[in-house]
Amino acid sequence: MLKRPELEVKALAQALMEAKLQVGHCSVCFHLSADPVCEICRAVNRENQTICVVADSRDVIALEKTREYRGKYHVLGGLISPMDGIGPEQLNISSLVHRVSKEDIHEAILAISPSIEGDTTTLYVGQLLKPFTKVTRIAFGLPMGGDLEYADEVTLARALEGRRELD
Amino acid sequence: MYLKTLHLKHFRNYSDQRVEFCAPKTILVGDNAQGKSNLLESVELLATLKSHRTSRDRDLIQDGEAWGQISAALERELGVAEMALILRNGSRRTAVLNGEKLRRQMDFLGTLNAVQFSSLDLDLVRSGPGERRIWVDTLLMQLEPVYAYILQQYTTVLKQRNALLRQWGENSTASHTTQLAIWDAQLATLGSRVIRRRSRVLKRLTPIAQTWHTAISGHTEELQIRYAPSVPLTEGDPALVQQAFLDKIQQRAIAEQHQHTTLVGPHRDDIDFTINDTPARQYGSQGQQRTLVLALKLAELKLIESVVGEPPLLLLDDVLAELDLSRQNQLLDAIQDRYQTLITTTHLGSFDAQWLNSSQILQVKAGVVTP
Repeated sequence: MLKRPELEVKALAQALMEAKLQVGHCSVCFHLSADPVCEICRAVNRENQTICVVADSRDVIALEKTREYRGKYHVLGGLISPMDGIGPEQLNISSLVHRVSKEDIHEAILAISPSIEGDTTTLYVGQLLKPFTKVTRIAFGLPMGGDLEYADEVTLARALEGRRELD
Repeated sequence: MYLKTLHLKHFRNYSDQRVEFCAPKTILVGDNAQGKSNLLESVELLATLKSHRTSRDRDLIQDGEAWGQISAALERELGVAEMALILRNGSRRTAVLNGEKLRRQMDFLGTLNAVQFSSLDLDLVRSGPGERRIWVDTLLMQLEPVYAYILQQYTTVLKQRNALLRQWGENSTASHTTQLAIWDAQLATLGSRVIRRRSRVLKRLTPIAQTWHTAISGHTEELQIRYAPSVPLTEGDPALVQQAFLDKIQQRAIAEQHQHTTLVGPHRDDIDFTINDTPARQYGSQGQQRTLVLALKLAELKLIESVVGEPPLLLLDDVLAELDLSRQNQLLDAIQDRYQTLITTTHLGSFDAQWLNSSQILQVKAGVVTP
């Protein structure tokens, strides 16, 4: 940082300050946004009938990089963890249920990392959404380029659990 | 498997100590509190990632230091494994295997196998059920390293569920009930995995322990090991065990809401030992209990050897002096030169001369090991 030109550092400092002051949460999906409603929610060329539910804004950014997904998002803002005093009330769950029940949603994809807390959150949210729409969860398995032989037992077991018929 | 070298840096009272093992048996001799057990503890950590003496890494790091390191060269049939475990004050450990930093520490397990036999184990029969659960869990982790992961997951679910039960009060909502049902399902899924594995390992261990027990007790006594899970164990289908688990949770639901803690699950299991149909805990003499523990430890050695395919190490911490001469000899006969054995003692006097001649003897004084 000390070796960089002064102007560059100034610009960076300003960008950091602006981010701190301007970035808040989208009022619809709770993704990070400088505007009241984020770009993804405003986009007209995205599918309105699919919602991908994630724990954190970082997950939205990761999924966007794939350019595979064209639907909308909902950021829960964490995972259920009674030990840390986080119950469903502390997360953006009721707003999600509201969205799914009021809008014309055909599928809710739960994209939450596999962990004890992640699985609990997935099961909980899944139960609440099931009366209104089709609920799916992303598959967990072997990384691309990963060799079956070198995969650890836990990942392999997960991958076996989530196997699909060859089409 | 054979432990060739051990290098301790800032570990307990060792500043920087290299030890080379050059005989199947090594006797570490020295006064109390000089570091003999610390050395065995470092090997235990390489084998299980746990110490039976502490759960805090800062206890393992030398006073005033920020980190400590245990490194070892272990000869196995397929070649030499270089192992290193770096402990940090207030931060995560690093496990390194053959120069490669492991992403998950669980992958460290199963490289070095060891059976620990300390004077504390002599109380295994009489002590609380928690000690017996630790005993069977430690054995399982070495036989199937994935068990460490399952147990850790179970413990997380248990803690989360207990936290939720503590929040239970007059104003509990429907959301509370929904959440609890999900934690119940997770507890039952992971808990049944723990129960099934514990049951399986005890079934395999029992006949071996019985054979040893008969030999040591002079064909007079019959040992029985009975697993007493907190959830009735049905054979066969894992789904049945899970269902039995959920039923039992249902039965204890009201009690759990009053006591704010989880009352059902493998964290409440026990293991019963009986000799000639009488509970060893209540009726066994001290001698009988020692014979029993000795038989268990020898069975552990054999079982690990048959599963892993190589004889594990044996760590005898201050325990030989606690056994009478005939049990000592039986133990020594059983291990011979087959299992590399590290022994700590305060006096060489109680050892057989033939034994001393075939062993490497190291002096331990104030964190320094000398031949």
